[in-house]
Amino acid sequence: MKKITKQKDWGVSYGQLVKQQFFKGLFNRISLSFVMLLFVFAIAAPLVANDKPYAIQIDGQWEFPLFAALTANDYSVFLAAIVAVVLFFLFRRNSKKVDPFLRPSIMWRQAVICSVVLFAGIVTFQILIPKKLNATDYKFMLETGRATNAVFAPVPYGYARTDIKLRHLPPSAQHWMGTDDVGSDVFCRLLHGSRVSLSVGFVAVGISSVIGIFVGAMMGYFGGKVDFIGMRLVEIMMAVPTFFLIITIVAFFPRSLLNIMIIIGITGWTGNARFIRAEFFKLRGQDFVQAAISLSLPLRSILFRHMLPNGIAPVLVNITFGVAGAIFIEAALSFLGFGVAPPTPSWGQMLSLSLSTTGRFFWWLTLFPGMAIFLTVTAYNLVGEGLRDAIDPKLRKAV
Amino acid sequence: MSQNDILLSVENLSTYFDTDDGTAKAVQDVSFDIAHGKTFAIVGESGCGKSVTAMSIMQLIPSPPGEIVSGKISFIGEDLLALGEKKMRKIRGNKITMIFQEPMTSLNPVHTIGEQITEAICLHQKKAITHARQIASEMLEKVGIADPAQRLNEYPHQLSGGMRQRVMIAMAISCKPTLLIADEPTTALDVTIQAQILDLLDELQKTEDMSILLITHDLGVVAERADDVAVMYASQIVEKTDCKSLFSETLHPYTKGLLQSLPQLGTDEKRLYTIGGNVPEPLNFPLGCKFHPRCSLGSKSQICQTREPSLKEVKPGHHVACWFAEGYKDERAKK
Repeated sequence: MKKITKQKDWGVSYGQLVKQQFFKGLFNRISLSFVMLLFVFAIAAPLVANDKPYAIQIDGQWEFPLFAALTANDYSVFLAAIVAVVLFFLFRRNSKKVDPFLRPSIMWRQAVICSVVLFAGIVTFQILIPKKLNATDYKFMLETGRATNAVFAPVPYGYARTDIKLRHLPPSAQHWMGTDDVGSDVFCRLLHGSRVSLSVGFVAVGISSVIGIFVGAMMGYFGGKVDFIGMRLVEIMMAVPTFFLIITIVAFFPRSLLNIMIIIGITGWTGNARFIRAEFFKLRGQDFVQAAISLSLPLRSILFRHMLPNGIAPVLVNITFGVAGAIFIEAALSFLGFGVAPPTPSWGQMLSLSLSTTGRFFWWLTLFPGMAIFLTVTAYNLVGEGLRDAIDPKLRKAV
Repeated sequence: MSQNDILLSVENLSTYFDTDDGTAKAVQDVSFDIAHGKTFAIVGESGCGKSVTAMSIMQLIPSPPGEIVSGKISFIGEDLLALGEKKMRKIRGNKITMIFQEPMTSLNPVHTIGEQITEAICLHQKKAITHARQIASEMLEKVGIADPAQRLNEYPHQLSGGMRQRVMIAMAISCKPTLLIADEPTTALDVTIQAQILDLLDELQKTEDMSILLITHDLGVVAERADDVAVMYASQIVEKTDCKSLFSETLHPYTKGLLQSLPQLGTDEKRLYTIGGNVPEPLNFPLGCKFHPRCSLGSKSQICQTREPSLKEVKPGHHVACWFAEGYKDERAKK
């Protein structure tokens, strides 16, 4: 048997074609880079914007309060980011170096190992890293001369640090985006707020697409009664105005980020379900699905290995729009005061602070969080748009 | 044909579909036997129930709306209809496999052909992926694909129609089935490729020792390749015999019409013969013999319009269902 070593011998998969097409568009590249940049800032937020110094000399003794104050959640986010980057490079290497034949099993194994590492890491962090409150004002120590030689983060403010003397300051060299009603730095809160927005977008859409794909696949494949019941369920869900439903549900549950994610997730699956159902109806009659059935392949393989990759395209596009939508809903909820509880920052909540109780209007509290929401949602929509065009074979030039 | 030679025997199979407009009787009272290592052909026009018969054997009738209402399908002594889905899974795709009409669409575009062939091998033969790959490569070689190890890593869109059909065949024979159902395997291919594919099937039949159920509407293919033939018309078998006597001693007027409709070289005829009319809809079959509105023999006869002839053996091994066929006269007299 001839051994295959040259990469050019391997066929070009559908995914690779779509990728090539996607990266041809300038706006696609820009908006994807913007989303990536947002992710980098969101992950690195506690390192970039923190009121604790990286290093400080107190009574001649060097201390590292920023790192000591990082919580288990922060470490989990870092680990997740590292795992994601490792997986990305592993998969990229696979598509270049590994024989396509063994690729699925190897990729599967890598993904499993990485998720085990991630899960184990998160559990250890939660157990080992104690929750501690460090309210020491290092800047005050520096001013009074107790401490010398401090290295601060680029944005040396904490998102929860309040100072009533500094409230409602317009943008300046110290506070690039001004301060809010309790004297917190807006830029710092903006950076930390991106964590809420991006994770809501991701997790909520993750939940809704898993539910949507599963329900849609069942409806499309089995048809008949399953389809009838599923579609009535979808119609009931769609008949209720989602936003008011979410507000009602949120009012009943404690205000936590996880609750908001779950609620947005379980109310938003209908679109995906309908897309997948339509695709599966079409695919069900295709010869290759019939061939798969005639080979007695297990249902799991037929549904998710043979049918899903052929019908996932519209859902992928819908998912990127869904992320933008979820970010929007979270911002709206926070604006109305149903979002995450303060002092956790979120963009919508910051936006709501632009009008003070005395009726004064602070433009920097509208402009910057508003721009953040606008740019993020636009970037996601542009990515979705680009993906849709890349997937559409009518727009693809012959490769 | 002795009892031991029979691999698959279909008795009085009826498959109906429930539609909003009524029950469509897609297959009615169909019986035939397939012998070990032989090719059995089912011929007929589109919509006459050929494919539904094949799907019934595989038990792939979508239910609802389809249902096998009666009959018995015994495969090496086992009644397939009585087996549960779990046991049927061990036979379907393993002992009985199927190749489809349209090679362009019967391979999954998102997976390499190697992945698709090995999946079935891993499933049915419980082989590790590297071993399965070896088998897949051998199978591709067997169906005449050059450089098989290379081809395994290619996607279906990189192959031509003939190659794809070869891949489908490789997939179907990779578990060494005893019965291969070929549902119009050459319809979508051009003539030279058709001949190659049929030669390949012939050759594999000999080397792999399997029976083939060939479903086709091409009488030329039947004449060349089949051992036994059943002609189907409007959900029923109207004539069933061995290949030679179908062409030499044609009994049923429908078969005669079909043979007459074949273009022949060396004749001066300007227009091809056609059987007038259309195949009746399965929802409203005509009363009496289903062929009588289009029949040249007995369309005016009362018995044809009122009574349906059943399949009778008129000569040894030659079954026909026509009131006016040779040897069927006694039956007609009885009524």
